[in-house]
Amino acid sequence: MERDEFTLVRDMLRAFATRFRSGSADDVKAQTRTDAQRALDELGLTGLRRTSPPAATAQECALLAEEHGRQPLTTSLLGTALLAPELLRLLDEGERAEPVHGARPTVALAGDLRFPDRDAVGLVAWDCDGADTALLVHAEGRVTEHELGSPAPTADLLRGVRRASAEGRPVGRITPGAHRSWQAYALVVVASELVGAARAFVEQSVDYARERHQYGQPIGSFQAVQHQIADATVLVEACTSATRYAAWCLDSETPGRALTAARVAKAEVNSSAVEAVYAGMQVFGGIAQTWEHVAHLYLRRALVGATTLATTSDLLTVLAAPEGTR
Amino acid sequence: MTDTPLNFGDPEDLERLRHDFRAWLAGHPLPERPADEPLPVFLHRWHRQLHSGGWVGLDVPEQYGGRGLTALHQVTVSDELGARGAPGVPRIGYLAHALLRFGSEEQRRRLLPRMLSGDDVWCQGFSEPGAGSDLAGMSTYAERRPEGHYIVNGQKLWTSYAQYSGLCLLLARTDRAAPAHTSISAFLLPLDRPGVTVRPLRAANGDDEFCELFLDDVRLEEFERIGAEGDGWPLAMTTVAYERNAQDTGHLSKYGLLIERLRRAAHERRGTLPDGLLSDIGRCAVDYQVLVAHARRRTAERLAGQSAGPESSVDKLLMTRAEQRLYETALKVFPEELYGEGGEVLGDYFYSRAASVYGGTSQIQRNIIAKRLLGLPVGPRA
Repeated sequence: MERDEFTLVRDMLRAFATRFRSGSADDVKAQTRTDAQRALDELGLTGLRRTSPPAATAQECALLAEEHGRQPLTTSLLGTALLAPELLRLLDEGERAEPVHGARPTVALAGDLRFPDRDAVGLVAWDCDGADTALLVHAEGRVTEHELGSPAPTADLLRGVRRASAEGRPVGRITPGAHRSWQAYALVVVASELVGAARAFVEQSVDYARERHQYGQPIGSFQAVQHQIADATVLVEACTSATRYAAWCLDSETPGRALTAARVAKAEVNSSAVEAVYAGMQVFGGIAQTWEHVAHLYLRRALVGATTLATTSDLLTVLAAPEGTR
Repeated sequence: MTDTPLNFGDPEDLERLRHDFRAWLAGHPLPERPADEPLPVFLHRWHRQLHSGGWVGLDVPEQYGGRGLTALHQVTVSDELGARGAPGVPRIGYLAHALLRFGSEEQRRRLLPRMLSGDDVWCQGFSEPGAGSDLAGMSTYAERRPEGHYIVNGQKLWTSYAQYSGLCLLLARTDRAAPAHTSISAFLLPLDRPGVTVRPLRAANGDDEFCELFLDDVRLEEFERIGAEGDGWPLAMTTVAYERNAQDTGHLSKYGLLIERLRRAAHERRGTLPDGLLSDIGRCAVDYQVLVAHARRRTAERLAGQSAGPESSVDKLLMTRAEQRLYETALKVFPEELYGEGGEVLGDYFYSRAASVYGGTSQIQRNIIAKRLLGLPVGPRA
């Protein structure tokens, strides 16, 4: 996209997010979810990564995911608009693909929301609001299409997850290089959404620290509070740098380098996004511990997000291996 | 912070530079360091060698002895040195930027080429016994005489490698009454000037990097002042901002090399490693690579016109996190350094403890982030 074209798309998404954000957990209802997803679909973002070359760069998609994460939104931008189309695009370049039956695919993951390994069980359709089918990439690059089942519980109240059929219909394969790109892209997109969430929540806590008075002073004037917010800011900046750089690598570097950068970004985000939300909750104090406050929506997103696709332990083990043995 | 895509560099252009640099390195291997040669002497030889190939000051304009390229080019050279386990680029970026911004045209033309080539070795006289991170507490005084010159009296501390330096970027108060941010001026002090005494100070790791500097009735000429009277504060802020960026200090290559050493050691001792050590190494790799990404983002932002400012406090805290965790982990991987004669890792471990103190303590960095970056209200003073 041209710069002004991208600005336009981002502003569109920002306006959508302001309108459909959940003000509290009580706003998360079936009807509001459906309405929000319909409104998101009307923005027509599924075409961004469907063509080769794609209409939007990975960097642009990552920034959109970041924007989506800033507000508590129930919509499936990641699964249906960014991830599934990218998978179909990569598939087109690999072996011959069978047509996909569903009109609106999302992606399937292992039951614990990680990338599936060789004997993944209890598959789920992840981020499935508005989706009617789910695509699974097997460890060896085979891609299959799975039917959606009953809703699967998750602590993230905003994320739609459903069970998916164990048996899938083959739709093609992706090459090992494309598989690395796919994993890197998925890690970056998921990390980006968490970066947006952590950044926005820390910003809200900064605003609150300015307004909230105790002992006749705004609490933001107390050094203990300032240092906590400063530390949270450092963590958010670290997440941002790692994730945006990894997104750039997807557009500019080899799949191998892009995957390393994406793993680094996800590992940083896994721990730091949660820490940053903790700091923000501490600044908000008692009110942040209630059901009606948005804090727990952010915490739930970060907490589940930190285990999605790859856990910290998965990533650190890989990143501890010497160059050339990974 | 920008919310549109950032240019992290033109891969082809930088690849070409990387290729040229590799070719040059192949013909100019790292010099040997005799056992009795002090580190700064060895690094100075390396500095001159790099300069002879045109690899110092890539982002300094050509008329001042640089190559007029971008900071990303300098980053690429740093990366490549790190990947080879060579010492980093000379740590003069922050001094060069202070001169570029505050020096007169005459000073830039006279001083920068000699700084880049290593003909002049500089040190930095900012801290004092009564004022470390608190520059406003500085008491070194430069009294202006009616004839125009200055007479300087005072004491500086933590002046790294002053005993190997010829010039010092000195901060001194030129007005005792005015507030700190308008009363400090910067000078160029030749260390052989009468009245200057340099005394090395032994650090916890055994090295004598740090020095004390005593100034007794030292005469400085008006042309040796950098910038206008009272420019010392903004000059110091610019200097420390660059000094806090990992890319400018050349620390990155040093970290990268050690991490690869830790990975290999862990790989060889698979199965016998203490619990959690592999995760610790992975965490160090993440810290390091986040720092690389962060430095690149800062560089890209700088190229997009953003100057180094309070954001550099974020950089400093990230660098401190990476460095302290790295050397703590290194001591776990090489515990023998604790029980034998010690070694490089133990020495660097001690040095890493200083990371949260030098260049402004971690607490000062947090204050800067809270007040200047986030605009939080000023707190009650105790």
